[in-house]
Amino acid sequence: MYDISNWLNSYINEDLIRVTVQLWKGFGVTLSLFFLTLILAIPLGLVLAFCTKSSFPLLKFPFRALVYVIRGTPLLLQLMIVIYIPGIAFHSPITKWGMFGGNVARAYFFGALFAFVINYACYFSEIFRGGIENIPKGQYEACDVLGMTRSEAFFKVILLQVIRNILAPMSNEIITLVKDTALARTVAVTEILFCAYEFLKVDAIIWPLFYTGLFYLVFNAVLTWLFGIAEKKLSRYYK
Amino acid sequence: MKKLLAMMLSLLCIFSLAACTTDQTTDGSQGSAPAASDYDYIASNGKLVIGITLYEPMNYNDENGELTGFDTEFAQAVCEKLGLEPEFQVIDWDMKESELSSRNIDCIWNGLTVTEERRENMDFSMSYLTNKQCVVINSSNADTYTDTASLASAMLSAEGGSAGEDAILADESLAQASYTASDSQASALLALKSGNYDAIVIDYTLATASAGTGDYTELMIVDSIQLANEEYAIGFRLGSDMTEKVNAVIRELIDDGTLASLADKYDMTELYEEAVGK
Repeated sequence: MYDISNWLNSYINEDLIRVTVQLWKGFGVTLSLFFLTLILAIPLGLVLAFCTKSSFPLLKFPFRALVYVIRGTPLLLQLMIVIYIPGIAFHSPITKWGMFGGNVARAYFFGALFAFVINYACYFSEIFRGGIENIPKGQYEACDVLGMTRSEAFFKVILLQVIRNILAPMSNEIITLVKDTALARTVAVTEILFCAYEFLKVDAIIWPLFYTGLFYLVFNAVLTWLFGIAEKKLSRYYK
Repeated sequence: MKKLLAMMLSLLCIFSLAACTTDQTTDGSQGSAPAASDYDYIASNGKLVIGITLYEPMNYNDENGELTGFDTEFAQAVCEKLGLEPEFQVIDWDMKESELSSRNIDCIWNGLTVTEERRENMDFSMSYLTNKQCVVINSSNADTYTDTASLASAMLSAEGGSAGEDAILADESLAQASYTASDSQASALLALKSGNYDAIVIDYTLATASAGTGDYTELMIVDSIQLANEEYAIGFRLGSDMTEKVNAVIRELIDDGTLASLADKYDMTELYEEAVGK
């Protein structure tokens, strides 16, 4: 036991501040990746949900195939495809695209973001589709009787109930997303785990790697608390 | 009845506490004995557990699935002289320090570069090969990138925290280039092949084994660029007496020409002679 406390003490004094500052920077990248993915993937997921449940085959089958492929392959692989395939297959390396202005870190970040958004939009779309299909047909008919248009019915009556129904599976996916951002390390996005690995490689110190767990845990605690509040607010009409 | 039960429980508690304390004392004595001599600890196991990662030409599986390579054969030769059974254990390279100190492995023997930072966590044997860092580019750029000055405005990469990264930062021209750390040397190669970078700096051994082969046929080493050299050695636990014993055996293997012929077999005579002398 005394070994462990010695071991902790020897590091905490010297390096804690330096490591914390560096990991905060990395966590900033983690959070940007998380929030941008969320903001973009939710509306895209809703659009995808309408496409896959559409009765128009030209819309339905291609997008079902997309969801099938994206959900059936590892995100890690999808990241590598976005980062490497433009250069290998099309001789147009992602780092040299004009929109990134020759900034490699930016190219990798947005490349990773693209892969994350597509991946999560596909997962979200299935959750949305399930939520929408769960609403009894009678509600649409009631809206029809009241003289509402289809879009009025959807946005004013159906959507709110869908949100309540999908809250639990969405909170699952969103918390998974927080942790999945760690995969971006493999394509040189300098998120928090990448920074921790730098300490491991350059200074040969191990504990920053485990210290990152605290960042994830605290952030997920906040998310869990927010989801708890949202659930309470949305369920009050049902008691 | 309740009182009887309470008495029996409290007795049980006392006995279990006593059992704990005796356990700890035996644990303590077992724990301190090998610390006195790492060699005795390894000899009592009868085997040397060697931490490796699989890569050519150091440790890799040949076409029959047998583990081979320069470091593999080198370790087998050293273990034979020490009367130990070599056991090769594939590790996560990033976790090598904790694998070593937790005794999951007894040494790191896998093209390990000697650095000052690493000296704080392990002891090194004498160095047996020079770890040259070299610049690898796409051969379509062969006329563009001929010296370090021509790379000053290029996009460069190396594995984060590697000797290659140090070489880039230490070079006046390369330090001006746009540099991005890669996750590993393997992903740096992949990114170079895809054109994400103009040039990467990696270990010479890996570069010769990969550039120009397989899917990397269009990659090439820029021979005209010389970067700062580093050396390969075996890593042991801090303060281990294995270092000395293994050094003595390595000297024997150098003197009787075994190591030189191994270097020749794996096409590394130049690197061997730079480290050990002719």
